[in-house]
Amino acid sequence: MSTTLETTTPPAAPAPERATRLSQPLRLALYALVALAVLSLIRVLTDANDLTSAGTVSAALTLAVPIGLAGLGGLWSERAGVVNIGLEGMMILGTFGAGWIGWQHGPWAGLLTAVLFGLIGGLVHAVATVTFGVDHVVSGVAINILGLGVTQYLAGELLADSPGGGETQSPPISALPRPSVPGLDGVLEPLEKHHWFLISDIAGILRGLLTNVSILTVLAVLLVIASYVILWQTPFGLRLRSVGEDPHAAESLGVKVRLYKYIAVAVSGGLAGLAGGFLAIVASGIYREGQTGGRGYIGLAAMIFGNWRPGGLMMGAGLFGYTDAMQLRNAVAVHALLLVVFALLLVVTALNLYRRKWVTAAVGLVFAVLSLVWYLNSDELPGPITTMTPYVTTLLVLALSAQRLRMPKADGLVYRPEGK
Amino acid sequence: MLRVTKLVAVAAAATFALAACGGGSSDGSSDAGDTGSAKSDVKVGLAYDVGGRGDQSFNDSAGVGLDKAKSEFGIDVKELEASANETDSAREERLRLLAQGGYNPVIAVGFAYATSLGKVAKEFPDVQFGIIDDSSLEKVSNVTSLVFAEEQGSFLVGAIAAEASKSGNVGFVGGVNTPLIQKFEAGFKQGAESVNKDIKVQVKYLTQPPDFAGFNAPDKGETTAQGMIDAGADVIYAAAGGSGSGVFKAIAAAGKGNWAIGVDSDQYLTADSAVKDYILTSMLKRVDTSVYDFIKSAVDGKVLTGKQEFDLSDEGIAYSTSNDAVKDYEAKADELKKQIISGDIKVSATP
Repeated sequence: MSTTLETTTPPAAPAPERATRLSQPLRLALYALVALAVLSLIRVLTDANDLTSAGTVSAALTLAVPIGLAGLGGLWSERAGVVNIGLEGMMILGTFGAGWIGWQHGPWAGLLTAVLFGLIGGLVHAVATVTFGVDHVVSGVAINILGLGVTQYLAGELLADSPGGGETQSPPISALPRPSVPGLDGVLEPLEKHHWFLISDIAGILRGLLTNVSILTVLAVLLVIASYVILWQTPFGLRLRSVGEDPHAAESLGVKVRLYKYIAVAVSGGLAGLAGGFLAIVASGIYREGQTGGRGYIGLAAMIFGNWRPGGLMMGAGLFGYTDAMQLRNAVAVHALLLVVFALLLVVTALNLYRRKWVTAAVGLVFAVLSLVWYLNSDELPGPITTMTPYVTTLLVLALSAQRLRMPKADGLVYRPEGK
Repeated sequence: MLRVTKLVAVAAAATFALAACGGGSSDGSSDAGDTGSAKSDVKVGLAYDVGGRGDQSFNDSAGVGLDKAKSEFGIDVKELEASANETDSAREERLRLLAQGGYNPVIAVGFAYATSLGKVAKEFPDVQFGIIDDSSLEKVSNVTSLVFAEEQGSFLVGAIAAEASKSGNVGFVGGVNTPLIQKFEAGFKQGAESVNKDIKVQVKYLTQPPDFAGFNAPDKGETTAQGMIDAGADVIYAAAGGSGSGVFKAIAAAGKGNWAIGVDSDQYLTADSAVKDYILTSMLKRVDTSVYDFIKSAVDGKVLTGKQEFDLSDEGIAYSTSNDAVKDYEAKADELKKQIISGDIKVSATP
């Protein structure tokens, strides 16, 4: 994931018209390689080896998955025309479900409950928005409040007397398996330790991505791919998206609009619940009240900046996870991250110049120069700034690169069937 | 079933309302306790901080003190829980509810209550309030500030960490970057440096106020601790509330020879069995003692007022010795403890 997160356009975005003759996969691979080389150069220059270490990549993956899954939930729902602000609430339901069942019956049962709880949240949203025509944002906010309230109440009833748990947390949940590609660790670890240009970086990233990865992370990546295939390569997906673009046209062609909306919002809730389950079971090993910490909203933002496409949202989540891992792990590397931001913005600016977007390019250039000046004039970032790097970086890079956002045409509109 | 719970709820609400009326008619100040009977008519209200009962740390410790006072004095108690991300007005409402209900004294657990208590204390001049971990209201006559010298205890565990570290590199994970948690950092650093001048202390706060999620994010704690271990640390002090469990996980994953240090209560006794052996010691902050002492003073009719500081000398602050592995370092720590109590070592409370 983090090999592609340095690329600066969503992979699925339409290619620039008067552009390259390279095919898209090839172009992406080229982008990734260039980005990696830049990253590696910065690492060698600054001696901040944590920039591409296996530890960072593995932490980035863990931090990115809940955001990515929540974003994927948002994608399903919004592609069918239902805005889902309620992702956070559905995630909270998921964390509780995972904690409550997880500590008693094992992680897999907990995971299933998490999905189920999220699904219920999704269905409530569907009933409100699709059947009763409630404003999507109002219903979503209500679900966020409801999710928090219900879990607080249930935790008081169901977890208060558990051994080692309490009204605000569950007992520990046993861990899911963390498989590795066999034999890889022994080869890659020495390579990484040499800190060679490019080679050690690739070794570090591969080691982070392929060894000691939670089985649920693998599942999450597969779900992103599956969502792409289902939504863009099957008749079912075409109908679902048509409901989000123009429900009346879809209806006139015989598509059961309400059914498709129900399915999409339910899947959305299930994915958000899974995101919560990941947070409780894999990332924390425990349910704690308030542990989602707004990740549902960040997921939604990643999806919007990712232009309502799986590839884009994966990049947004990856970028956020990477910078978050960086700031949590190591202050020295965060300082070097300023240089990375500089390089990223420079690329974005060049791209904008090429597209003749003068204003955006100028804004990007100003921020690029600012981060360079800042890097050169400081040794370390102050704590409060460090903590907000993930937010600032993701916002800057995505805002300046993803300029051609196009949301589903009927997104957020209340649909009333013909003749009613 | 549902109907039954509803009935119970209604009944409970009614009792509470009646209790409130009863309390309101009496004149607030309590004159109980002089008879020495087991049943006192003091009613104690206690408002928890985020995390509440079951956090195996700060709030639980306050709960233990309350339980002890309850069973000893036979007092009537009312506990209210806080929720994550709540506003000051929600806290005000909670304190007001307790004060109106005739509970006196009312104890607010945690510095997060400081602003709201400042307002509510003025509205109820006859009620004695206690607030833990905050001294900004020490001038208000009906507020008792129950504070701790966390830097002293952190100094001792810092010294233990430096002794136990083979790499000369230790870590400090703070939950939220507030003046309170900075006291832990300051003490820890000074303690580590008192043993080994050249020691490297890595410091990281998980979140910045007003985002208090850092006390509640085991995943962030684990990522940070993992980063510190990768950068050479082999002993990590977690002053991060509920995020501490993530730090313990990271230390346990790193294997033998790495140690974690717990905070507030003896976490060796409460942690998951998979990680407990890695918890070398814990910086004990006897919130239970402070709550108990405060209630006892109210029951005795001579309620504590002003600023009450608990430190090493009165055992309000200590370090735990339940893990046998800490035996090797006890002699040194106890010697330092004596020096701090006698004043030979002055521990600064700011980093």
